[in-house]
Amino acid sequence: MTEKPMEKTTSVKATETVKKVRPIVRGLYQRAHEAKEKGQFTAYTMTACQYEDILAAMDIVAIWTENYAGLAAAKRDAERFVLKAEADGYSNVICGYVRVGMGFDALRKELGGIPENAPDGGMAMPDMLLGCGCACDPRFKWYQALGHYMNVPTYSFDVIWPPVDADLDEVRDYYIRYQKEQFRGLVDFLEQQTKKKLNHDRLWETIKLSDATWQKWWEVDQLRKAIPSPMPTEDHYNAMVPGFFCCGTQLALDFYQELYDEVKQRVDNKVGVIPEEKYRLLFGGGLPPWHTMWIFNYFETLGGVFVMENAYRVYDPVEVPSHVKDPLEYLAWRTFLRWIQRYDKAKKRSGLPTVERLLEYIADYSIDGVVTHASRSCRATTIGQIDWLRRLNEYTKVPTMQLISDIIDVRDYSEAQWKAQINAFVEAVDAHKKRAAR
Amino acid sequence: MYVAGLDIGSTMTKVVIMEKESILASIVGPTGAEHRRLANRVMADALSRAKLSFDDIAYVVATGYGRVSVPFADWQITEISCHAKGISSIFPTARTVIDIGGQDCKGIKLSGGKACLDVGKVVDFVMNDKCAAGTGRFLEVIAEALQVPLEKMGELSLKAKGKVRISNTCTVFAEQEVVSHLAEGANTADIVAGLHDAIASRIHNMVERIGIERDVVVTGGGAKNIGLIRALEGKIGENILVPPEPLLTGALGAALLCRKRAEKAKKEGSLPRRERRLEEVHFFTYPESGV
Repeated sequence: MTEKPMEKTTSVKATETVKKVRPIVRGLYQRAHEAKEKGQFTAYTMTACQYEDILAAMDIVAIWTENYAGLAAAKRDAERFVLKAEADGYSNVICGYVRVGMGFDALRKELGGIPENAPDGGMAMPDMLLGCGCACDPRFKWYQALGHYMNVPTYSFDVIWPPVDADLDEVRDYYIRYQKEQFRGLVDFLEQQTKKKLNHDRLWETIKLSDATWQKWWEVDQLRKAIPSPMPTEDHYNAMVPGFFCCGTQLALDFYQELYDEVKQRVDNKVGVIPEEKYRLLFGGGLPPWHTMWIFNYFETLGGVFVMENAYRVYDPVEVPSHVKDPLEYLAWRTFLRWIQRYDKAKKRSGLPTVERLLEYIADYSIDGVVTHASRSCRATTIGQIDWLRRLNEYTKVPTMQLISDIIDVRDYSEAQWKAQINAFVEAVDAHKKRAAR
Repeated sequence: MYVAGLDIGSTMTKVVIMEKESILASIVGPTGAEHRRLANRVMADALSRAKLSFDDIAYVVATGYGRVSVPFADWQITEISCHAKGISSIFPTARTVIDIGGQDCKGIKLSGGKACLDVGKVVDFVMNDKCAAGTGRFLEVIAEALQVPLEKMGELSLKAKGKVRISNTCTVFAEQEVVSHLAEGANTADIVAGLHDAIASRIHNMVERIGIERDVVVTGGGAKNIGLIRALEGKIGENILVPPEPLLTGALGAALLCRKRAEKAKKEGSLPRRERRLEEVHFFTYPESGV
């Protein structure tokens, strides 16, 4: 019997610029290996940690462990790491990113080196583990648990934001002071490890560069309101790489400028993702199914294009008060302001900033249907989805659907079930559009 | 003008042939492993029962999991839309449909109400994930473990004096749990009642996601199980309506949607004129055998 050829599981991209992301990703892991050879410091760290600028300013080479898990899943090479983590006693309901990371380092320890043929050459050995509590608890526990496999100093950075119903005028100063203390603590730790002082002028430079990068990225997404859609969600999930993982570098800013120019040209010339865009869809949340990104293209075969997404988003621009002159205070303000966006809207209507953001996207991006992804191992982005969708239905009749699998673990995915659901959903979206047009 | 709706489910294949408002023939046959390629025979049986030849059929709509593999179908529609159409033709007041099929379970919310001009359209839906719990297959596995014929499970559970709690939702573990309850001497009727309660809980929780509104209709093979229907009524707190032949509502909906499309095509002069043949339905291809 001949072996079945491997099916394509990654998505086909619409824009040319995002095709440059794959070498950037390879370069991230390569750079960390090179840094080790040169004696430069490396650190395991996490997406949206809020202190990316500090790492860049201190020349610490970041190794993005969640990105690595997503990469392994996209290459359908996560299973060996996941199974190793489970064999070492980590439950199959623990975050898929964590299981890949734990499994990778467990294998590295067992084998005495990087597992053979690890995607993109594997993750270099870190000198520090920089956890971050932003978004979920495994982001603290993961690196603590890595102590089983490596003897590397760990720092857990806390990111906090107030509850929606808080009086922001009353609590703001406390939150910013606490957040600044967190940044200060991290810097002390990094200075201790690297025996090098943080240069504040250098930090300002990286902050300016990353703010400009995020601004340009945000402008790209404003262009995506156009009909037909010039850039789909599957492109976004590549385009996010420079913004999240090359923050504070000229490379990232140049990338979004190039992407902006291309998307603008597509808008001006009405170049869509598919020849006939029938339905404009919103990927409403939950992290994407990295193991099967091709699924976005499947919607396209039915006339549906994901024109916007609500996961791994660029932050909307924020305005830090001009009196802030200290870069760590600036970072504390920026963090705080990023997280309280849409609080006022939520207070006046749904009570949920996420619902407000989705309603905004539905209106601004002319959305016909919303799809969410419930990921078995990602509690942080899955719990509450049904509630959002119900709240959403109080304010809009746009059809919604929840798909279930996992961010990483392909064992939780059923293609036949998904296709059956997707086909029925597209019929519902079609019926809704026709009703709305009458 | 004759039209046919063909519903190829994971365990049963169903056909409804209609002319105007009348159902001329309806037939249900197994989609068992050896029959998968022979769904055309179920169609041929239905044609024979209606005393028609295949050339008499103006339009064919296929639905169900196997719909995309029917070479002689003019159009494919998902079973969600077909069940919605079929059920609303029988129960115009239906707002929530629960389809308990062989390998999946769906909740469908239909439009309706006083101000609604477009009654019986799919507003929202939800399906079980890849787990078999809450589906016909779950019942089949447990019926086998209990050595009770599947069709007797419903009546048997109504004789229960209590409910044995089945805590596992996984089919494999639930089967083990049932076997251990039997070993402990539990009454079979009480076990079946407990099982129905567990399935009803799972279905209820799933359908609750889209918001249950009355009238509630249960269709699919699971609707033939009176014990399960009673258990679901207990969970939902509403009486449940069951169509006269729950297995056929998908094929009926397909035939009704087919008729609508055929009438439109006839008016526009675009009825398909291609030569029809009752070809084999190829669900899977096996590289080794070249089938």
